Amino acid sequence: MTLSQYIRLIDVQAKFALKADASRYFLGYVWWILEPLLYVGVFYVVFNVILNSRHPDFLTFLMCGKLPFVWFSKSVITGSNAIVSNAGLIGKINVPKTLFPMARIQEGVYKQMAVFALLIAVVVINGYSPSWIWLWLLPVIALNYLMIVACAFVGAVLVCYFRDFSMIISLGMTFLMFTSGIFWDVRTLSDPALTELILNVNPVAFILDAYRQILMGGVAPDLGGMLRYALIFGMLAAGMVFIMRKLSQALALKALTA
Amino acid sequence: MSRQSDAILELDGVYLNYSAGKNHFSEGVHHVLEDVSLTLTEGETLGVIGRNGCGKTTILRLMGGIIAPTKGSVWQRPGTASALLSIGLGFRGDLSGRDNALLSAMMQGASRRHAMSFLEEIKEFSELGESFEEPVKTYSSGMRSRLGFTTALITHVDILLIDEVLSVGDAHFKNKAERAMRERLSGDQTVVFVSHADKQIESLCDRAIWINNGRIACGGETSEVVSAYRESIEKSNNG
Repeated sequence: MTLSQYIRLIDVQAKFALKADASRYFLGYVWWILEPLLYVGVFYVVFNVILNSRHPDFLTFLMCGKLPFVWFSKSVITGSNAIVSNAGLIGKINVPKTLFPMARIQEGVYKQMAVFALLIAVVVINGYSPSWIWLWLLPVIALNYLMIVACAFVGAVLVCYFRDFSMIISLGMTFLMFTSGIFWDVRTLSDPALTELILNVNPVAFILDAYRQILMGGVAPDLGGMLRYALIFGMLAAGMVFIMRKLSQALALKALTA
Repeated sequence: MSRQSDAILELDGVYLNYSAGKNHFSEGVHHVLEDVSLTLTEGETLGVIGRNGCGKTTILRLMGGIIAPTKGSVWQRPGTASALLSIGLGFRGDLSGRDNALLSAMMQGASRRHAMSFLEEIKEFSELGESFEEPVKTYSSGMRSRLGFTTALITHVDILLIDEVLSVGDAHFKNKAERAMRERLSGDQTVVFVSHADKQIESLCDRAIWINNGRIACGGETSEVVSAYRESIEKSNNG
């Protein structure tokens, strides 16, 4: 399979899945925007109305963190289950196994384009003025994508060998949701050393903070941190492509029999 | 072992075991195939016969490179393409027949434009009519098999691995499918045809092997193999 065929197949699978998805629900494509907004709504009610967050612009703050996080967590979860759930096809044809997580990730990418457009609109409406700094969003989004790909590949292989990992990955996402500064601010913790530590060890906290730095703070994200995480996840993704190529037939047998 | 010059695919001392489910200890290991060796030559039609669960589908998957043997080797002549055709699985229920056919063709290596070009042909041959645009989950099993068979038939590969495709569908479509198959078989197409239906094997194949309990019980002339297979079935029915 050539690279262009591979990319075309990811794209076609993603578009077909989105079409099928939209036809299943009464509200169809509206759910692309509505689902993440409902997540934001729930968090807003709990942390601002009930718990009174005292953040001056909690809605924008929350959306800058929650919307990229939902993209990350949903893509990694569905990507992790992609090989197992395509067992029927995998039993018929020998294709690169990365194709299946990549197709699910691509589905998320199309949805996220609409979500990011909405996010930008909300940020502008709430009084933040666009500047050249906002171009930093492009490398930040690219890094976010790279994180999704690397994590989904690792997840897909683990779930293939032990289905139990599918549970653990979902739980891990809940853990990340609480520890990545979605409804609390990493930068206003009482201990600056703790802020430093969280940004250095939790890539999700780092990337969500980067979105806020750009959109709300009007400053460029930490370039050193960006490069470090890009290197880590780039190497992880490349390593997984290599491993999944080596294990292609073993993964097929596992998907078919386990 | 020297290879025949017209060999296109070869299995040499192939074993396949796997452990199913959460049981990773030796008692959970399934021995599907044991010491299977065979050579497929270019242009021939090889029948694989055996009862349900004897390892027929597994042989096809090994031949297609979908899974690797636990022990032994599978050789395919470099540069040849093979495709496994089977019914039922591999369709996405929420997509239309048209979208599924396009996806299948692309998975088999056709470019998008090429795949698009034979969609109408698939629609016509499968006789699905307006249902071709409906989601596959609304199809009957016969309709699914018609779509599966037609999609498979239209795509051209060097080695065609066929898994019980002709076993479902109504009598009219079955005849039509068999005719189309025979047309393909009479050319230089190399085919491995798996079935538990001895009559189909007899009418379509040059050579056959009979798989019993994961081993080749008998191989050679189709008529000899089929009669040995029939004998054993009768024996087990009487006993």
